[in-house]
Amino acid sequence: MLSEERIILMTRMASYEQGEGKKNVKIGNYFRSDYIALQTLKAVVCAILVFAILFGLYVLCNFEELMENLYKMDLLAFAKDVLMYFAAMVGGYAVLVYVVCTWRYASAKKSLKCYYHNLKKLNSLYQDGQ
Amino acid sequence: MTVLLEMKERIKLIYSKSEVFIVPVVKFLLAFIVFNTLNGRMGYMTRINDMKIVLIAALACSFLPVGLMTLMAAVFSLMHMYALSMEVALVGLCMYLIMYLLFFRFSPKDSLVVVLTPLLFALKIPYVVPIAVGLLCGASSLVSVGCGIAVFYLLQTVIDSAPNIRTMGEEEILEKVRMMVESIIGNKAMLVMIAAFAITVLVVYLIRRMSVDYSWTIAMVAGAMINVVLLLIGDLLYDVNISVGSVLMGSLLAIVVAKVVEFFRFCVDYSRTEKVQFEDDEYYYYVKAVPKMTVAVPTKTVKKINAQRDMAAEPRSGGARPSGRSVDVERTAPDRGGSRSASRPRDGARKGQRSMTVGKAQKPENADADLGEYEEWP
Repeated sequence: MLSEERIILMTRMASYEQGEGKKNVKIGNYFRSDYIALQTLKAVVCAILVFAILFGLYVLCNFEELMENLYKMDLLAFAKDVLMYFAAMVGGYAVLVYVVCTWRYASAKKSLKCYYHNLKKLNSLYQDGQ
Repeated sequence: MTVLLEMKERIKLIYSKSEVFIVPVVKFLLAFIVFNTLNGRMGYMTRINDMKIVLIAALACSFLPVGLMTLMAAVFSLMHMYALSMEVALVGLCMYLIMYLLFFRFSPKDSLVVVLTPLLFALKIPYVVPIAVGLLCGASSLVSVGCGIAVFYLLQTVIDSAPNIRTMGEEEILEKVRMMVESIIGNKAMLVMIAAFAITVLVVYLIRRMSVDYSWTIAMVAGAMINVVLLLIGDLLYDVNISVGSVLMGSLLAIVVAKVVEFFRFCVDYSRTEKVQFEDDEYYYYVKAVPKMTVAVPTKTVKKINAQRDMAAEPRSGGARPSGRSVDVERTAPDRGGSRSASRPRDGARKGQRSMTVGKAQKPENADADLGEYEEWP
């Protein structure tokens, strides 16, 4: 016997699984700390690559000046400046990604809670039908 | 309004029936326009500035995901840059990599926005972008809009610098790189546009999510106004030479486009808003339910095809029908009452339903088979 309530519930759940749910289920498979750590690690790698690109462009743009002053300039102070920019950029980006991932994980879990609640409801509807 | 709603339902019906064909055709057309615009504006590499190549690439994009269309467009532009100068291509590649590594992770599904934003900039109608994105996408899509603007200004910088780069000798590698980097970093118009569009996307998104009547309309008007104000402030501060007339006209056009988007995406009847209050063991609920405007599209349903009857056993008066079969057809007219009568109970005896059969008409299966207004999944 077809139950309209059951069909509506299943349709909504299927629609959720196909769309937003797919991403949320993937996030929900991780523990909170694992998910955030993995995403932050990826962000750190990306930020290091971007810093390398930016530093390369900086060197290319100021190549002649750097070559002229290579023996005159304070290399230690220059390295310190570069490291400071590196730490600021990588650290800042990692913090940003940490905040975004924390929020994403919380909202995915909230959404999945509703989904699992509906799963239970569907199960109870089946049991009532038997 | 009823006519428009009927038209909308018809379009939805056609789309749902032919989605398999419509989506690839739309993707093909979009890719064709994007690649053609790129070739038309840049066109430095004669090998890819060819209609056959564009058609093949667009055809490939028609069945590939939209993300790959973005990648292909990036490859097209890099090839043109490479034909102009290797150093320009290097700077272009660096910019694309920076955008991909830093920003794309926040909204990887918005590749369409990254493609459409430069295209609309090239077509001189960029002000539609922040309002449409704010209405249709999430807040994180402002990153994609920013990337799209950066891509447009990168390409514009290449186009503007092309005559100078051509006059430079091949040994002036560092000068070329420096010129490109300085042109991009020092482009105040790009920074003003990114800031204005990002704030507009955020404002439109926040207002349209509010639980007030006509939130979408308020959002689009407020977004357009804020965009105009921010661009004018940016123009005053940094002298970026923005034309006030084009901004105003573009914003008006953006509102018109946004109204069309609203009609298809969020067509509700605020006059029938219901506010209910109930409770369970843990919470009190204050629910505001706004019904969507819908009408039933007229449909023709073949109800029954009668088998051949024995002519002798069933004598007819006034001449018999030449065919031995009869087809009973029911036609359901649209609900002329518009949204107000959409929730009325329907039965075959209601006016607006005609039946060519003898006997009572049946309720059309698809007219009320609405699986409920999908409440947004939290």
